[in-house]
Amino acid sequence: MQTGPVVIIGAGPAGLTAAYVLSKAGVQSIVLEKDQTAGGIARTVNYKNYYFDIGGHRFFTKVKSVEDIWKEVLGEDLLRRNRLSRIYYNKKFFHYPLRPLNALLGLGIGNSILIFFSYLMAQLFPSKEEETFEQWVSNRFGKRLFKIFFKTYTEKVWGISCNEISAEWAGQRVKGLSLLTALKNAILKSQTHQKDKKKVIKTLIDEFDYPKFGPGMMWKAMVESIEKNGSHVCLGKAVEGIRWSGNKVEALEVKQNGQIELVYGTNFISSMPLREALQKFKPKVPKEVLDAANDLKYRDFLTVALIINKPMLFPDTWVYIHDPEVKVGRIQNFKNWSPFMVPDSNKTCLGLEYFCFEGDDLWNMPDEKLIELGKKDLEALGLVNKNDVEEGTVVRMPKAYPVYDSTYRKSLDVVRQFLEGIGNLQLVGRNGMHKYNNQDHSMLTAMLSAENILGANHDLWAVNVEQEYHEEMKIEPSEEAVLDKILPAVFSRMDPLGLGVAVGAVLGFIIFLATLWLATTGGPASAYLKLLNHYFFGYTVTMKGALIGLIYGFSWGFLLGWLIAYLRNFFIAYYIYRIRRKVELLTFRDFLDHF
Amino acid sequence: MGAEKVPNDEKLLRGVIRLNAKVYGLVLGIVLGLIIFIGTNWLLIKGGSTTPDGRHVVGPHLQLLSQFFIGYRVSFLGSIIGFFYGFALGTICGTVIGWIYNKIVDLRTR
Repeated sequence: MQTGPVVIIGAGPAGLTAAYVLSKAGVQSIVLEKDQTAGGIARTVNYKNYYFDIGGHRFFTKVKSVEDIWKEVLGEDLLRRNRLSRIYYNKKFFHYPLRPLNALLGLGIGNSILIFFSYLMAQLFPSKEEETFEQWVSNRFGKRLFKIFFKTYTEKVWGISCNEISAEWAGQRVKGLSLLTALKNAILKSQTHQKDKKKVIKTLIDEFDYPKFGPGMMWKAMVESIEKNGSHVCLGKAVEGIRWSGNKVEALEVKQNGQIELVYGTNFISSMPLREALQKFKPKVPKEVLDAANDLKYRDFLTVALIINKPMLFPDTWVYIHDPEVKVGRIQNFKNWSPFMVPDSNKTCLGLEYFCFEGDDLWNMPDEKLIELGKKDLEALGLVNKNDVEEGTVVRMPKAYPVYDSTYRKSLDVVRQFLEGIGNLQLVGRNGMHKYNNQDHSMLTAMLSAENILGANHDLWAVNVEQEYHEEMKIEPSEEAVLDKILPAVFSRMDPLGLGVAVGAVLGFIIFLATLWLATTGGPASAYLKLLNHYFFGYTVTMKGALIGLIYGFSWGFLLGWLIAYLRNFFIAYYIYRIRRKVELLTFRDFLDHF
Repeated sequence: MGAEKVPNDEKLLRGVIRLNAKVYGLVLGIVLGLIIFIGTNWLLIKGGSTTPDGRHVVGPHLQLLSQFFIGYRVSFLGSIIGFFYGFALGTICGTVIGWIYNKIVDLRTR
C-alpha cells in the first residue's frame, strides 16, 4: 500500500506540470501513468533515432508562467523556429489567410473569378440561417471557397459532414474575441511601425519554440526534476478504480502486473479522459451523471511516420491536405520542426496523420497496410516518389481530441456539477476537462490546481474560456489599462442628434447676435451679411431677420453637426469592421491549427 | 481576463462618446484664432491693391471683422488682436457645443 499527499492521474503535460509545481513547493506527489512513456498526447516517439511528435506541438504561449517553466526546464535546448504551414490542394501550396497572387496562380484565373463571385454573393445574400458549420463558413468566405478549403479537411478531421457540425462550434472559435483587444493590437502595431519599421514585433503566430529533440525532452527533464525532489512518476500503472465516499475521493485502485493496489491521498488531480474517469468511480456515480459522461465523445488519430531518402521535400513544418482523393489529413515534416529530429541530414521523416475513431477500419488496419497507404497517398499527392520511402512505423493515439458535438456542453455541465461536489479532486488538461486546451493551457490548469492545493482558490474552468487571438501582441499591463480606458471613449458612437443640436444652437446664436449687432450699429458689413439671404430666404439684417437667421442657422448647423457625427460613426464602424474581419480570418488559421 | 473583456466590448459597441467641452473649446479656439491670424498675415504678405482714388487698401473684406472685433485691423498687430478674438470666440463656441452635446447625450442615455 502506498500513501501520498497528492495523487496525480496521467503523466501528460498537465499531470507532470502539477507534480513539478508541487515538488518545487516541497509537496510530494505520486503520478500514475498507464503508458510506459511520459508525455501523453504530447510525447515524442523515438524510432531508430528518428524522433517524431504525435501531432506536432508548438511551444508558444501568452501565459508567462508557462513560458517560464519551459525555459526553466529546457533552457538552451529550446529552439526558436519559424513557422510555415500551408494548405496543399490540387498539387499546389496555399497560404492561409489566402494571398491574392498565391490564390490566383494556384487556383487559376477562371476558378479565382468564380470564387470572387461566390464570395460576393455570400456578402450580398448571406444565408439567413446559420445553423451548420457549412452555412457559417459559406457566409463568411463564399460557398466555393468553403468547398475547396474547409469542407474536405473538416470532414476528414471530424469524420462527419459539415452539415452535421453545428455553427455554434465554429462560432466559438471567434465569438469570444474581444473587439477591444483587436483595436489595441491594430493601434499598437501601427504605432510600432511608425516608431521603427525595423523593430516590428514578431507575432506569436509566425514563430514558436520547440525542444531540440521534440517535446519528449521536456517531459523527460520534468520527470527527472520531480523525482529528484522526492516525488514519484510511476509508468505502466493504470488507474482501475476511483474510490469515493461522500464528498471526497479516498483512494485509487491501481493495476500493475495483474495486481490491484490502493493508492491513498489527501488531494487528487486527474488528467485522464473525463468519460473514463467517471466510469471508474466506485461506487458508481448517479445514473444521469454516468449517462452524461458516456455522452462525451473523442476523436482519435494515428500517425504513419515514414523515412524518406531525400534531404528536402518542402519547407513547411506541417501541411494541411485538403485533397479529397487521399485519406491523410495533415503531414508533419519533423526535420523542419527541428533539424535534430532526424539522425541523417540526407533523409527526411514525415508524419502522415489520419483522423479516425478507435475501432474503425482505419484504426484496425495492420501497420504494414497503413504504411502502404501512406506511401500511396504521398505519391498520389505528388509529394514523394513511393520508391524513396525507406521504412515506416505507426503510432495510434486514442482520444486525441474531445468532440464538441451538439450535446457535449449539456453533458459536460452535468458532469461538472457532480464533480464540484467532490472537494479533493481537480480536473486538468485537455481530456481531463474535455476541453480544447492546448499544451500551454493544459499546463496552466495544472499549475493552478497545484496552487489550489497550496492554498489558492483558482477556477480551473476559467482558463481558455475564450479563444486566444494569437496575432495579439504582448501589451504591457500599464499600457493595457490606459488603452482599456481610452479606446471605448474614442471608438464609441457619437450621438448625431446631440451634435446636430449643439452645432445648430451655436451657429444659430452666432448669426442671431451678429445680425442683431449690425442691425443696431449699422456699418458696411451689413451689406455682406445680407448676402446670406441667397441661402436663407427672407433673411434681412433687422431684428426680425435676426430671428429668421437664428432658425436658419440652427437648421443648417443641425444638419452639419448631424452629418459630421454620422460620417464619423460610419468611418469608425468601417474601421472596426475591417479589424474584426482580419481577426476572424487569422483566428480561423488558429482554428485549423487545433486539429 | 476573458470575463473582463465583455463589458469593455459592450462599452465600445453600446457606449456614446462624451466630448470634453474644455478641450473641444480650446481646440476650436486655437483653430479659429489661427485662421484669423494666418488669414490676416497672408493678405499682408500678398499686398493690397490701389483704389481708383489712389488709396492703398489691404484686405477690405476682412477689415469688416472690425465691426465685431473692436480694435481689429488688417495689420500685423491686428492679426494678433484677431487671434485673441478668434481664440475667445472659438473657445466659447467649442465649450458650448461640447456642453450642449453632453447634456443631450446624458438626457438620451439616462
